[in-house]
Amino acid sequence: MSLELNWDGLDASILGPACLAGLIVLATHVPLGKQVLSRGIIFIDLAIAQIAALGVILAHFCGVDEQSFGVQIAAATAALAGAGLLAWTDKRWPEYQEPLIGTLFVLAATGSLLLLANNPQGGENLKDLLVGQILWVSFAQLIPAAILSAVLLVFLWLRRGRLTGLFFYALFALAITVSVQLVGVYLVFASLIVPALATAGMSGRWRLSAAYVIGALGYASGLVLSAVFDLPSGALIVWTLAACALLAQLVPAVRRSHPAHIEVGKQV
Amino acid sequence: MKKFFPIVLLLASTIAAPAHASLKVFACEPEWGSLLQELAGDKITVDVATSALQDVHQIEAKPSLIAKVRRADLVVCTGADLEVGWLPQLLRQSGNPKVISGAGNFMAANQITTLDKPTQLDRAAGDVHPQGNPHFQMDPYRVLTIAKALDARLVQLDAANAAVYQKRLADFSARWSAAIKRWEVKAAPLKGRKIIVQHSSWVYLERWLGLEQIGALEPKPGVPPTSAHLASLIGTAKSSNTLAIVRAAYQDSKSSLWLSERTGVPAVVLPLTVGGDAQSKDLFSLFDSTVDKLLSVAK
Repeated sequence: MSLELNWDGLDASILGPACLAGLIVLATHVPLGKQVLSRGIIFIDLAIAQIAALGVILAHFCGVDEQSFGVQIAAATAALAGAGLLAWTDKRWPEYQEPLIGTLFVLAATGSLLLLANNPQGGENLKDLLVGQILWVSFAQLIPAAILSAVLLVFLWLRRGRLTGLFFYALFALAITVSVQLVGVYLVFASLIVPALATAGMSGRWRLSAAYVIGALGYASGLVLSAVFDLPSGALIVWTLAACALLAQLVPAVRRSHPAHIEVGKQV
Repeated sequence: MKKFFPIVLLLASTIAAPAHASLKVFACEPEWGSLLQELAGDKITVDVATSALQDVHQIEAKPSLIAKVRRADLVVCTGADLEVGWLPQLLRQSGNPKVISGAGNFMAANQITTLDKPTQLDRAAGDVHPQGNPHFQMDPYRVLTIAKALDARLVQLDAANAAVYQKRLADFSARWSAAIKRWEVKAAPLKGRKIIVQHSSWVYLERWLGLEQIGALEPKPGVPPTSAHLASLIGTAKSSNTLAIVRAAYQDSKSSLWLSERTGVPAVVLPLTVGGDAQSKDLFSLFDSTVDKLLSVAK
């Protein structure tokens, strides 16, 4: 790998839509990530994304045109159905929620493979759905995503961030269905978990603000560095998000009263 | 009318002026980068988007790709849906009207007739391209047809260097035609030999050299092999004096090595495009290497 500096890609009109996509994704994923972390179900986004993809493949079988809006409906419906199932299992067997999510993930993933055994073109669609590439986002995609994110945020705000069972899962399913198509599954996972993890020791409004700052800096620096070093943007942003999260630990207010420290303190 | 003439001249000169700065070309695959090098030499600057070790059906999005398309005067790609997963997005994102359509948009597939064009589109037939098989760079005659069309396009876009492009095309055509004769003589022992392929990337090469494809590891293009299909392939490979199991440099070796181990038929890696092996440095050595590698297992 040659690390030649490359200043051509450093262009606001190239990086701008991608940066906006990142901010739209962060807007809903930072508060949702906080809940995912406290519920200890961190792989739920992968499961929901996979179920959404399964829904698209099923719709395909029923003759829904791959370019039409019907695909979005199918993805959202499947994601909501999966969310409903997970909300039910959460109530019924809360102690097994994480392994059940994992099982649902592999079932959805391999179910897609079985359905697609004779239909590789559907396979290409599936890949597109799961591996959205942040640099390819267009304003036509960003506008509906921004509107839906705003609606979800209003819901969150009305419920003051406290979401119970079905409500949480349904909201989560819709947010993931949108974001996976914009930025791909790796970035969705990172946006959800990394800022929430970095600020786990904080509480209240400050925690949310710090998580947003970490997320935004991660996206912005990742995009700039991917342009300068000519590396794939999505993958690099995952790393800069993690780097920003680590750097944030240098700020005393972020690191202070980390739960791990408190527990250690108690034991002593 | 006469009054307008100086204005037209003035306009023409301002339009023609940037042509002195060399034409900037964006090539999707290395074979077209190499062809452009043959046809234009240092009269143009070429950016090649992919390498031979990449699956061109899908590539990772990098900011530099958008920047390169944005400043390009001409985009040269295979077409026939080969780059459908990323080229449309790249062109849209570049916002460069010169290359989105019209003279600055050159699709090699539109200059020739493709093979395997389905008469009806049926999903059950697998990953078939409605515009035919896009791996036609392995037919030297089609490459020559494309070279002529591409040269005409260079002349159209950069009239100041027209004489250079025409001279270089004549030179390339002569060397290429001579090379085709050489390859055909050399590859004569391959005629009628049977091969098994990994993916249907070789139909043009087979047609040209008279190779016979008796099976493919992918039962339908793009579909992973099933156990029943592999079992039937073992039988086919053993019973029919098979020359080789052929895969492209970018493809995973697992399935062809698996079949090779069970049948004793040698697995051969062919470059498929310029840069696919150490020998393939340009279009000529690409075909040299391909013919040599097939001959090395024919003995």
